[in-house]
Amino acid sequence: MRSAVTLLAVAAVVLVQAVVVNRLPFGALSDGGPGPDLAVAAVVALALTTGPAAAAGWGFGIGLALDVLPPADHAIGRYALILCLAGYLVSLIHRNTGAPGGVGARTSRLFALGTVLVTALGVGLAYAGLGVLMGDPRTGLSDIAVAVGVGAGLTLAAAPLVTLPLLWLREALSDHEFATVQGPMSPRGW
Amino acid sequence: MLRDSPRSRLTLTVLVVLSVVLLVLDGRPGRDPVTAAARAGGELVFAPAAAGVGYVAAPVGDLYDTVRRAPGAADRIAELEEANAELEEELHAARLDEGRAEHLDELLHLSGLGGYEIVPAQAVTRTTPRGYADVATIDAGTESGIDTDMTVVNGRGLVGRVIEAGPRTATVLLATDVTSAVGARLESTRKIGVVTGGTVPGGPAADLTLELFDMEAPVEAGDRLVTLGSHEGAPFVPGVPIGTVEDVQVSPGALSRIAVLTPAVDFASLDLVGVVVAGPAEDPRDSVLPPKPDAPEREK
Repeated sequence: MRSAVTLLAVAAVVLVQAVVVNRLPFGALSDGGPGPDLAVAAVVALALTTGPAAAAGWGFGIGLALDVLPPADHAIGRYALILCLAGYLVSLIHRNTGAPGGVGARTSRLFALGTVLVTALGVGLAYAGLGVLMGDPRTGLSDIAVAVGVGAGLTLAAAPLVTLPLLWLREALSDHEFATVQGPMSPRGW
Repeated sequence: MLRDSPRSRLTLTVLVVLSVVLLVLDGRPGRDPVTAAARAGGELVFAPAAAGVGYVAAPVGDLYDTVRRAPGAADRIAELEEANAELEEELHAARLDEGRAEHLDELLHLSGLGGYEIVPAQAVTRTTPRGYADVATIDAGTESGIDTDMTVVNGRGLVGRVIEAGPRTATVLLATDVTSAVGARLESTRKIGVVTGGTVPGGPAADLTLELFDMEAPVEAGDRLVTLGSHEGAPFVPGVPIGTVEDVQVSPGALSRIAVLTPAVDFASLDLVGVVVAGPAEDPRDSVLPPKPDAPEREK
């Protein structure tokens, strides 16, 4: 039930990113700059409510979907790789440090938004870094600074519409009170 | 250290390896069956969804445009009225010259201008999630005869070229993208050069930059450029207007002359475009360029 609803919600987010957000004229506002990235906002919500392996899987799936949907401006797999790692790291760090709203408790909304901002910055840098590694001539230093900064800001602005509803959905649908407690790990971290 | 179960690590490793394999497959030159199939699948979802959103969002988009343009609307109306009066006057004069113009047209073989065969399409997306690439998705694909490496134009001039074509959508690399390079010819002197999107190293900031191979070639602000044309018309057919020279950079010791261009096409308001599916039988040279604004045809 929980997975099915999440899957539907995530599919909706990916479609909205591809057919609505990508055709809004953000480029006209900031001279070819980036728009908000709903995928990052969705991956953070999932990573905060699931384990590292599942979060990596969700990240991979969402990234691959966006890779495959038009416009074909980058190689397939680039986004999948980055969102997969992002989901894994966010979930791993969240689980292991017992950050606010750790295991079993409700995640603080402000904490979730902060995580979105940090993740968006990280994803932006990783995407640009991978571009440098692959010899993508578009990733110059000044371009990266603008694109990552503006993109992360817009993603944060869009997060209340994506991350928070997804978090609420997943928390509301966890069947019993200890649904999210993982076996041997202590709730207080390590 | 951060703790995690071996099984979870294994999952991550498998997914990362899978991504890298896909990256390598898709990064290689030429078409790969796996990634091509994946893109076709993605498009199958994208095309109807985008069409639906376009249908629903059209009134909203119009409203947004209206609100955005409202501050300048009064100026625009005044400007249009002035232009209208001017055009009416011109029309009056043109009627007198009509007979003569007909013969001239025949003489110059201007009818049909470039003689391209064009498939119309609508530009669907304008941004990419990460904002580095200048690409647009159009709502026509191989089913309409569009294939990769075809020239995309609109009423004003060169838009770009098709880099990926699916059955019902295609991705267009705009001429302003950093990776775009178009062979160009100066209208007046016929000197050739390359028009690159964005800024070339050592050049000033610009949407389009021209690099002329001939250091001695005279080029000045106001000179106009058309595409040079590629072998068998792919990816660029000859004779499409690219833009106007705005500023020439004088840099002693440089290997080429660099000039900033004003694009012929307004890329910020890209809407209806045409994909050239068959080039002209012969190079139309610069006959596709509109008449020079400072020297109206009828005075010649």
